[in-house]
Amino acid sequence: MSKDYILGVFKDEESLVEAFEKVKEKGILPLEVYTPYPVHEILEGMGIKTRITHAAFFYGVFAAIGILAFLTWAASFSWPLNYGGKPFNSFPSFIVVTIVATILSITILTLFTFSIRAKIFPGKVPEIFHERATDDRFVMVIDKDSLGDNAESINSIITEFGEIE
Amino acid sequence: MYNSEVRGRLITGDKSLGQISREIIAPIHAKTPVWWYIAVLVGLTMFGIGGYSIFLTLTKGIGMWGVNNTVAWGWAIINFVWWIGIGHAGTAFSIFLLILRQKWRTAINRAAEAMTVVAVFCAGLFPLMHMGRPWLFFYIFPYPNTRGPLWVNFNSPLFWDFVAISAYLLISASFWYFGMLPDFATIRDTAKSKIKKAVYGVFAFGWTGSSREWLRFEGLSFVLGGIAAVLVVSVHSIVSTDFAVSVLPGWHTTIFPPYFVVGAIFSGFAMVLTLVVIMRALYKMNDFITDSHIDAVCRVLIFISLIMGTAYLTEIFMAWYSGSEYEIYMFFHNRLFGEYAPQFWTMFISNAIVPQLFWFKAVRKRMWIVFVISIIINIGMWFERFNIVVTSLSHDYLPATWAPYSPSLVEIGFFVGTLGMFILGVLLFFRYIPMIAIAELKSVAKFDKSRKEQLKDTKHE
Repeated sequence: MSKDYILGVFKDEESLVEAFEKVKEKGILPLEVYTPYPVHEILEGMGIKTRITHAAFFYGVFAAIGILAFLTWAASFSWPLNYGGKPFNSFPSFIVVTIVATILSITILTLFTFSIRAKIFPGKVPEIFHERATDDRFVMVIDKDSLGDNAESINSIITEFGEIE
Repeated sequence: MYNSEVRGRLITGDKSLGQISREIIAPIHAKTPVWWYIAVLVGLTMFGIGGYSIFLTLTKGIGMWGVNNTVAWGWAIINFVWWIGIGHAGTAFSIFLLILRQKWRTAINRAAEAMTVVAVFCAGLFPLMHMGRPWLFFYIFPYPNTRGPLWVNFNSPLFWDFVAISAYLLISASFWYFGMLPDFATIRDTAKSKIKKAVYGVFAFGWTGSSREWLRFEGLSFVLGGIAAVLVVSVHSIVSTDFAVSVLPGWHTTIFPPYFVVGAIFSGFAMVLTLVVIMRALYKMNDFITDSHIDAVCRVLIFISLIMGTAYLTEIFMAWYSGSEYEIYMFFHNRLFGEYAPQFWTMFISNAIVPQLFWFKAVRKRMWIVFVISIIINIGMWFERFNIVVTSLSHDYLPATWAPYSPSLVEIGFFVGTLGMFILGVLLFFRYIPMIAIAELKSVAKFDKSRKEQLKDTKHE
C-alpha cells in the first residue's frame, strides 16, 4: 500500500512560508515542498545543503592542473616542435587554453553532478503530487505517519493559509 | 530586500502567477500563425542559398571565394567575428546582469541566450569552411595520433580560438537548456494534448520543482554563471588575439581585446533589441517586456556606444602618436580619408554617433526608431570588422603585394545562408520554447507589489 500524504496547497509565497514555519514549530518537517520558483525561506527551512559549489571548485583545481600538465608534456616532452625558436615550454601562452578548457570541464562535470544529485536526467518519469506546482500553486507534502498526535493541529494550520487536497 | 524605484514595474497589468505562465506559453499552444510559415519559407530559401554556396565551396574549393594571397581572410572571418559578437549578448545579459542583481533581465535573458546559441552555430561554420578541407577538421583536436603523435601548436591563437568557440557553444547551450527545465515542466503540467505532454515531459528531464531540485538548481546557476562571466570576456579577447598577435599595421595593438569585447557586447545588445522589439510586436508581450525594459537596454547602448567612440579615437590617436609611418598610412591614408573611407565612416557614424540619439526619451519611446537604430548598429558593427580585416590585409608593408578585395557571389551566398539559419533558429524558438523565463519572472513578480505588502512579509526573512 502506498503511503498516505497530506497535501497542503497554497496560493502564494507568503501563506506557504507562514504555514511552513508553523508546521515546523510543531516539530514536523514536511517531506517535500514543491514551488514554481525557488523560495529561499523554504530552501533554508528544509535543512538541506548542497555542496555543488565545492564540487565545482575541486573539478576546477584538478582540471586546471591536468590540462596545464598535458600541454607542458605534449609540447616539451612528447614531441617537441620548434616554432620560430620559441621555448618548448612556453608557459604564458598555455594559460589561455588552460583557462578556457578548465571552464569547459567545470561546466560539464558540474552538470553531471547536478543531474546525478538532483536526479534530473532525460527520460525520468516525474513523481507529480500536484499538477499545478509548476504553474501557480505552492505545495507542501507531509507524511501522515510522521504526524502522530499533531494531526489535528497541522490540518488547522494548513486550512488557515491554504487548503488540503 | 533592496528595492529600486528607478526601474518601474517589472510586469505590468497585475498578473497572477497562473496568468504569467498561461500568457507566456500561449504561443506554443496557439495555432501556428500564417506569417510564421511565410517567415520559415524565407529562412529556408536563404538557408538553401547558403547550402548551395557551401556545396560549391566544398566541391570546387576556396577559389570560389573572392579571397586572394594578400587578403586571405575575407568575408568568412568578418562574418565569423560578427556572429560571435552577436552571440555575446546572451551570456552578457544573463551573467553580468545577474551579478549586478538587475531584476529586469528576467524578461529578456531567455531570448538573448537563444540568440547566442544560434549565432555561435552560424559563426562556427565560417572557420570550418575556410579550412578548405573541412572533413579533416578533427586535425585541430590535440588527440593521440599516428603521426608521431604530432601535437597541435598550443601557442597559436587560432588553436585558442578553436578551444574558446567550442567551449562557448557547449557552455551557452547547456546554460540555456538547464535554465529551461522548470519552464518545460510548466508546459508539461499545463498542456492539454497528450503528445505535447509527452514531448515536453522528455525535455523537462523529470523536473518537479521540489525544494531539493531548486536548491541544487540554484547552486548550478551560481557556478555556471560565475564561470561563464569569465568566458564572455575571454572568448572575444581570444578572437582579438587572432589579429593582435600578428605584425600588420592596424592589427598590432594592445587595445584589441577590450575593444573587441565591448564591440561584441554592443552588437549583441543591438541584436537583442531587434529581436525583442519584434517579439513584442508579434506576440503582444508588452506586459512582460515593458517600455522600461527597452528603455534600459537603450541606455546601456548609449554607454557602450561612447566606449566604442573612445576606442576608435584612441586607435587613431595612437597611430599618429606612435609616429610609425605604416600605422599613420593605415589609419589616415587608408581608413580615414583613403580607399576605404566609406566603410570607415559608415562604421564610425553608425556605432559612435547614431546611438547617441538614445539620449532623447522621445527616441527611446518610439519602437520603430529603436528598431531602426538597432539595425543600423548591427550594420555598423559588420563594417567595423570589415575595416579591421580588409584594410589592414590589402595594404600591408610591401606595395608589390597590395591587392584589392571584393567578395564573390559564393561568399555572399554563404553569409545569406547563415542569416537564413539564424532566422529559422529564432522562428523555432518563438514557436516551441517559452520566450521568457517563466520561473524567473514569477520569482520577481512579488517585487511589483506595493511597499506596504512587502513590509508585511519581511518578518519572515
